[in-house]
Amino acid sequence: MKNGFLFFLGLFAALGLSWAGIVLGSNAQLGRLTPYYDANEGQAFPAPLPGVAAEGQLVYRDLNCAACHTQQVRRPDFGADQARGWGDRQSVARDYIFQSHVQLGESRIGPDLTNLGGRKPTAPDAGDLENLLYAGQGGMPAYAFLFERRKVLGQVSDQALQLTGRLRPARGYEVVPTRRAQELVAYLLSLNTVYDYPESRPAPAAPPQEGARK
Amino acid sequence: MTSAPISAGPDDPSAVETSGRIPLLLLLGSALAWLLVSGLLALIGAIQAHTPEFLARCSVLNYGHVQALQETAFVYGWIANVGLALALWILGRLGGQPLRAGAWVVTGTLVWNFGVALGLVGIAAGDGTALPLLQMPAYVQPILLFAYAAIGVAGVLAWTGRRRQIMFAAQWYAVAALFLFPWMFSVAQVMLLWVPVHGVLQAITQGWFAQSLWTLWMAPLALAGAYYVVPKVTGRVLPGYELASLGFWCLLFIGGWTGGRHLIGGPAPVWISTIAIVTSTILLSHYLIVFINLRGAIGGPGTALKFISFGLAAYVLGGFVDALTSMRVVALTTQFTWFDEAQRQLAVYGGVSMMLFGTLYFALPRLTGRSWASPGLLRGHLALSVTGIALLVVSLGGAGLIQGRELNDAAKSFATIAADTRPWLIAAAGAQAILLLGNLLLAVNFLWTAGCCCCCCRPKAATEAFAS
Repeated sequence: MKNGFLFFLGLFAALGLSWAGIVLGSNAQLGRLTPYYDANEGQAFPAPLPGVAAEGQLVYRDLNCAACHTQQVRRPDFGADQARGWGDRQSVARDYIFQSHVQLGESRIGPDLTNLGGRKPTAPDAGDLENLLYAGQGGMPAYAFLFERRKVLGQVSDQALQLTGRLRPARGYEVVPTRRAQELVAYLLSLNTVYDYPESRPAPAAPPQEGARK
Repeated sequence: MTSAPISAGPDDPSAVETSGRIPLLLLLGSALAWLLVSGLLALIGAIQAHTPEFLARCSVLNYGHVQALQETAFVYGWIANVGLALALWILGRLGGQPLRAGAWVVTGTLVWNFGVALGLVGIAAGDGTALPLLQMPAYVQPILLFAYAAIGVAGVLAWTGRRRQIMFAAQWYAVAALFLFPWMFSVAQVMLLWVPVHGVLQAITQGWFAQSLWTLWMAPLALAGAYYVVPKVTGRVLPGYELASLGFWCLLFIGGWTGGRHLIGGPAPVWISTIAIVTSTILLSHYLIVFINLRGAIGGPGTALKFISFGLAAYVLGGFVDALTSMRVVALTTQFTWFDEAQRQLAVYGGVSMMLFGTLYFALPRLTGRSWASPGLLRGHLALSVTGIALLVVSLGGAGLIQGRELNDAAKSFATIAADTRPWLIAAAGAQAILLLGNLLLAVNFLWTAGCCCCCCRPKAATEAFAS
C-alpha cells in the first residue's frame, strides 16, 4: 500500500458506508413514523408522555436503570417475554416515538419494563413502586436516597409510604418520596404498550398453496 | 506491503525515542491511572452484582452509575491513552521521524484527561447519557474532541512525514484508528446528544457507534501494536503477510455493520439484525487472517509476546463467540445475560487490553532507555492477568448460561435467577480483584522504571536499548 490518498479514501468509505447503510437506511424507513389514529377509539396512539413522566425519564436515565432493565418485548416465538406477562405483543418502533431518551437496554438482571403500566391482570400502582424503590427486593437494591425520612409536623403526609415491619419509621417520623422519586414512578407507570398497532399483529398465516392436498 | 516490518527501524532511533519521551510517558502514565480507577470500579460493580445492597445508599455509586463510570474510565481513560501513545510511537518509529508537535500532544493529553475526569464527575452527579460507550455528559464531549485533535496532530505529522512510501500493517491499523475516531465520535455526538434522532433510531445509531468504536478504533489500536511487536521480537517475516491487507479491509468495511446483533427480536427493523448476523460471520475471515499472521507470537520469547499471544487467542476466540451469539438460535439464550458481558470482557480485556499490555512491555524500555525495573512484578502481572481474565470470562459465561436458561422459563422468578447465578458472580468479583492486583503491579513497575529514567537519564541510553 503506497498511495496515501487512496488509503484515506478507503478509510472514509469504510466508515461512511456502514453509517449510510445502518443509520441513514433505518432513518429513511422509520424517521417519519407518526402516531396511529384509531377512528373507533377516537384518539391517536401512542400518547405523548405527561410532563411529570417526561421528567421521570430523565431520572431513569440519570440512574442508568438500563444497566439492569430492558424496555423491549421480543416477538412471541422468541423467549419467554410474553409468558412472563411483560406484554401481549412485541414492541414496535412506533411505541417509542414520544420517548426523548430511548432506553432499550442490553441486560435483564431485572424484569423488562416496556409495559409496566399496562401489566395484566393487575399493574402495580404508585404505592407499590415507591415501596419497591425504598425497600428493594430480591436482586434489586433499595434506592433509599430517593426518599426523605422526616419528622411528622402536624398530620402525617398523604404521600407517606405505608411501611411495615422493620422498615416502619419510628413513632413521630414518616418516609416520603422526593420529587425525583415521584417523577420516576410517574414515568414507570406511563410505560404502557397495550394498544395493538397494525404492524404489531402477527403476520397472517400463508394461504394453502394449490396442489397442497396432493 | 511485500515484506513485514522486521527491518523497518528508524534511521536515528535515539532521536525518535527522546523526542517523544515526555509526551508519550504522560499518556502512558495517565492510562495506567485510569486502568486502576476502572479496576476499582469494576470490583465495586462486581460485588454489587451479587450483593445488591453494597454501597446502595450512596447515590453516587449506585449500580447503574458504577457500570457507566467503569466503562468510561476503561475505554476513554485506559484504552484511549495507552492506544494513542503506542500508535504515535509506532508511527514515529516506522516513519523514521522524531515525534513532532510534542507540545500539542502534552496539551491534548492534559485536556483529554481533564475531560474524562469531568465526565466521570458528571456521570456520578447524574448527568450521564446512559448510552453504552457514550456515557459522558454532552457538555464534556466537545472537550474530548478538541483534545483528541491536538494529540492527533502528531499522528498526522508522523504519517505525512514518513520517509518510506510503503506502509506496513502496523501503520494501517494505527492510522485507521487515529483518523476514524473523530468522525464516528462527532457523528454520534450530533445524532444522539445535540440533535437526537427520534425513537428507536437512537438505539440503532448507538449500536452502530458502539460497534464502530470497537471495530474501527479499539481493535485497530491493539492490532497496530501486535503487528509491530511480533515480527520485531521473532525476527521473522509474518506468515501469510500477503493476506494482511485483506484482513485489514475486511475489518474496516464489514465491522461497522455487525452492531445490530444486539437488537435481535426487538423493535428495530429485522434487516438490521439479519445484516449483523451475516456480517459477523464474514468477519470471521478477518480473525482467521490475524491469527495466521500473528501465530508466530505463540510460544515466542519474552514477556511482551506472552501477553500478545494470550491477547491474540482471546481476540480470535472473542470474534468466534461473537459470530456464534449473533445467531438467533443462540441469542435466544444468551441475549440480555451475563454471557454478553463475558464475550465483551473476552474481546476487550482479554484481546485488546492484553495486546496493548504486550506492546507497552515492548515499548517502554525503548522509550525510556531502561529495562523494566522489576522482572518479578512483570511476571506477577502476567500470571495475575491470565488467571483473572480466564476466571472472569468462565464465571460470567457460566452465570450467563444459567441466567439465559432460567429467563426462558417463566416459572423461574428473578430472585431464583439471582440466587442461582450468585456463586458464579462471586467468582467474577474474585477475578476482578485479581485483575486489579495485577494492574497495581504494572503501575508500580511503570513508576519505578519511568522514575529511574527521569532521575538518571543518559543521552546514550536510548540507543543502547534499541541496539539491545
